Amino acid sequence: MIKASHVTKRFGSVVAVDDLSFELAESESIALWGSNGAGKTTLIRSLLGIFPSTGTVFIHGVDVRKQGKRARSFVGYVPQELAFHDDARLGASILFFANLRRVNRRNAAVALAKVGLQGHEKKRVRDLSGGMKQRLALAIALIADPPIIVLDEPTSNLDASGRGEVIDTLCQLRDEGKTLLFASHRPDEVLALGGRVLVMEKGKLIRDITPTELWPTESRIQTMRLYLSMGTEESAAVALREAGHAVNLNGNGLCVSVPRNRKAEPVAVLARAEIEVRDFEILDEVQGDQA
Amino acid sequence: MSVIQTIAALCVLFAAAFGAQAQQSPQSVDEISRLIELADPGSTIVLPAGVYEGNLRIDKSVVLDGQGVVTIDGLGKGTVIELGAGDITLRGLTIRGSGSTVDQEPAGVRAFAGPVIIEHNRFEDVYFGIDLRPAPESIIRNNTIVGKALGPGRRGDGVRLWWSDDCIIVDNVIDGVRDMVFWYSENLTITRNHVRNSRYGLHFMYSHGTTLKNNELTANSVGVYLMYSNEIHLIHNSIVNNRGTSGYGVGLKDCDAITVENNALLANRVGIYIDNSPSSVDSYGLIIDNKIAFNEIGLLATPITHDNVISHNAFVENEEQVTVHGRGQLMLNEFSADGVGNFWSNYSGFDQDGDGIGDFPHAPRSLFRSLLAREPNLQIFLHSPAQQAVDLTARAFPDLSPEPIFVDASPLTRPPELDLFVSSQRGSRVPMIGFAVGLLLVSGVGGWVIAHQPRLPVVSDSDLSQRAFV
Amino acid sequence: MSTLPIEATDSPSVTQSGSHLSRVSSVIAFARREFRDAIASRWFLLYTLAFTVLAVAVSFMSLAGSGSHGFAGFGRTTAGLLNLIMLVVPLMALIAGAGSIAGERERGTLLYLLAQPISRVELLLGKYIGLALALCCSMCVGFGLSAGVLAWRVGGVGISAFVMLVVFTCGLALAMLSVGILLSVISRRSGVATGLGLFAWLILVFLSDLGLMAGTILFKLRVQEVFAIGVMNPLQAFKMAVIVNMNASLDVLGPVGMYASQTFGSALPWVLALVLGVWTIVPLVIALILFSKRGSV
Repeated sequence: MIKASHVTKRFGSVVAVDDLSFELAESESIALWGSNGAGKTTLIRSLLGIFPSTGTVFIHGVDVRKQGKRARSFVGYVPQELAFHDDARLGASILFFANLRRVNRRNAAVALAKVGLQGHEKKRVRDLSGGMKQRLALAIALIADPPIIVLDEPTSNLDASGRGEVIDTLCQLRDEGKTLLFASHRPDEVLALGGRVLVMEKGKLIRDITPTELWPTESRIQTMRLYLSMGTEESAAVALREAGHAVNLNGNGLCVSVPRNRKAEPVAVLARAEIEVRDFEILDEVQGDQA
Repeated sequence: MSVIQTIAALCVLFAAAFGAQAQQSPQSVDEISRLIELADPGSTIVLPAGVYEGNLRIDKSVVLDGQGVVTIDGLGKGTVIELGAGDITLRGLTIRGSGSTVDQEPAGVRAFAGPVIIEHNRFEDVYFGIDLRPAPESIIRNNTIVGKALGPGRRGDGVRLWWSDDCIIVDNVIDGVRDMVFWYSENLTITRNHVRNSRYGLHFMYSHGTTLKNNELTANSVGVYLMYSNEIHLIHNSIVNNRGTSGYGVGLKDCDAITVENNALLANRVGIYIDNSPSSVDSYGLIIDNKIAFNEIGLLATPITHDNVISHNAFVENEEQVTVHGRGQLMLNEFSADGVGNFWSNYSGFDQDGDGIGDFPHAPRSLFRSLLAREPNLQIFLHSPAQQAVDLTARAFPDLSPEPIFVDASPLTRPPELDLFVSSQRGSRVPMIGFAVGLLLVSGVGGWVIAHQPRLPVVSDSDLSQRAFV
Repeated sequence: MSTLPIEATDSPSVTQSGSHLSRVSSVIAFARREFRDAIASRWFLLYTLAFTVLAVAVSFMSLAGSGSHGFAGFGRTTAGLLNLIMLVVPLMALIAGAGSIAGERERGTLLYLLAQPISRVELLLGKYIGLALALCCSMCVGFGLSAGVLAWRVGGVGISAFVMLVVFTCGLALAMLSVGILLSVISRRSGVATGLGLFAWLILVFLSDLGLMAGTILFKLRVQEVFAIGVMNPLQAFKMAVIVNMNASLDVLGPVGMYASQTFGSALPWVLALVLGVWTIVPLVIALILFSKRGSV
């Protein structure tokens, strides 16, 4: 369904995606794994032809660079940062995308109902919670029932229960035969969904393996949230990445994924970097049987 | 209505139609000449209805009455009717089809002796309309004159007087000619004439001592143009929308002792144009009690203009109220007489004591205007924000302000009550109202159609279960 | 799984006929959204209100002195409206255009839109059309009420000139909107775009004319030079077009106007309309090319 060869994207002198090739078969599910800045988002944008890049990308046999519009019609896209017009109402937003995809209003209403947003049509986008926005984006991606769904960190703005709902939905989509490509920094998601994992680092594809190969069951991964002093998050993230940990830094704090038997490591790394860790908490444990 | 009555009515109609048909077969003007030959001098000839073709010359004092059903057609050659004797009256005729050769100046009626009376006639398709050369003490009354359909530069005069004093010219309507022009003719009475779509509505050449009253001059190049003519009194005229090449409501060229009084000078290119009037050192010009409004320039004068008294006029919303042709000032003219000036709609002072006279003199200064005097090409920037920026700058920095071109020491703060003669030109409101409503509808309905978004349909559970996900 | 248009596009023949249709429909979808956003936004309502109030006030004030025989007031009203239009309309159109793409870019919505099955050309055209319709609607409200005042106080005099005033004002708005959109495409941030829009407004409304004024005086430019340089400013072309429709010639504008009238004769309104047309099309085409080639998000 997606065939990318030698995709390279530069921003000035920075190479965000470096000569990356992979192939995604129909009904397959691939996770892009890597820490912030590894180039996952840029790769997704290059694949969708949002900005020009070198190399070739075929979606459903259509060359993105030549027929970007047609290629994108096979894809439903859920971005990382949800950007809607804040003043627009939810109903108006989804109708706009329904018009854009030439899908009738009924499909829009169905898509909205499926993600549980029925009855909220009058609400303005700015009044929606992060979870509702995420579900709205999912509804829009599904509105035309495309064969491929591309998600860029689909759960980054959600709490644990919201995340669970989204993962459940994605699992069902996968079971339904949809092709999934998603970026993630959460091992639980990757284990739940990913048939394969593309591990990215500094724009390069370094490994193409299965989740269980990446995280053998005996060393299951846990995510821990670190509570740091104000203003030290950035340098903490840098230090942890240098020590080889997958780090996610967003508005909700700094999260590190670690094998369950090595939870003290990040704290030690930060201690060496003279960054004070005030507290930490273990988030959910990945269900091994889903991997 | 019974059958017999109906048949009778149809017969009458048929007879009438047949009769009209018979009347329209044209005859020669020789028929009229024969009737005149038979008539006694001073008698009245009522012409049989019909069309008479050819060029007619009358050398006997008779009254020729067409009663509105007689047409004399020159068939496009020469002058239609020539009057070779005095005391001739032409009444109730339609006179049409003169020649149009420029050198012979063919006319509808040309009189070589006075007095003649030309009244209640209609002139169509004539090169000149009525030409008195000369015919003093004549009366031209209630005629309608429509010129030949020629370009403005090729037309003849609607009425021309040549050395014809003491004539009375009233209630004529003249459309699409060159001028109504008076050469060397004195003591005329010119009242209630309406000249429109022509070059100069009323044009005076070396003609002195006349009163022009209650005339309407509309959509000409110039409404009233007085040249080398003295002691003319313009009163109660309506001079509107004269904006052709020259575009003056009233033009005064080398005229002494002119009085312009109680006229409505509206929407002309220039309301009043003063070109070296008065021209004599000891003479004067009087411009009082006029409404000078909505012209592009209210009063335009040549720089040497002097000894005019311009007071108690209402200068309302002219694009430029007063300007000088080229550079210069109008300080040798009085804009206030006996402590009474003019009303200026752009007066920026105030009247604290409430006596109707502004507390500061009206001395407008425009940097843009003074730049314009130096460089006429700048006029292209008229009506643009840049022009206003220039003038605002000058107001902010008084050093940049030019000298005013005139000073009205006692400006009126309220428009004076003026006794004016203006016929309304409102026209039908319907198209404008329609346009207004149309615009509002287009924006309202169009906006609704574009912006309208249907509601999302309500989805039932069965719809949901059809789809596999969730 | 329900049957949807996406499946239909697999057949090449359907794609050929369908892609044209969907191109139009995505442009329409964008235009309608842009229109809806515009008329719901505060700045737009404020502009519409300001323009309407000013237009009606100018109409009233110009006719205030005309009394019972108010027939003569039309030209004056138009002249007053002319100044108002030349200040307000370019400002409104430039700012609206400048905010369009740069605003989406700054909010991050542009990325999301570009991930949809649309082309950049469709997006930009849709935005342009939507904003243009919104601007024209807004001005029609002002002009409609102003025409109502005229009908009430003046009657039907000068209706054709007024119609042309409305038409050319819409033309001016379209031209300025094109410039605004171009500025928006080349700006990374919406603040920069708005700044550029204001600067362009200053240049077009004041600086270029003032510069040409100075040039005319200093270098004693000839009439044809003043006309040729002056008419390149869309605002001057607009002004001349309105005046030539009102007076049938440009003699009001002095020697340069007379030169224009004599040189172009009855073709002059078309020449001036052409200037506005060029100002509409050229910036828009440049914007379309830059937006689709540079690929900035």
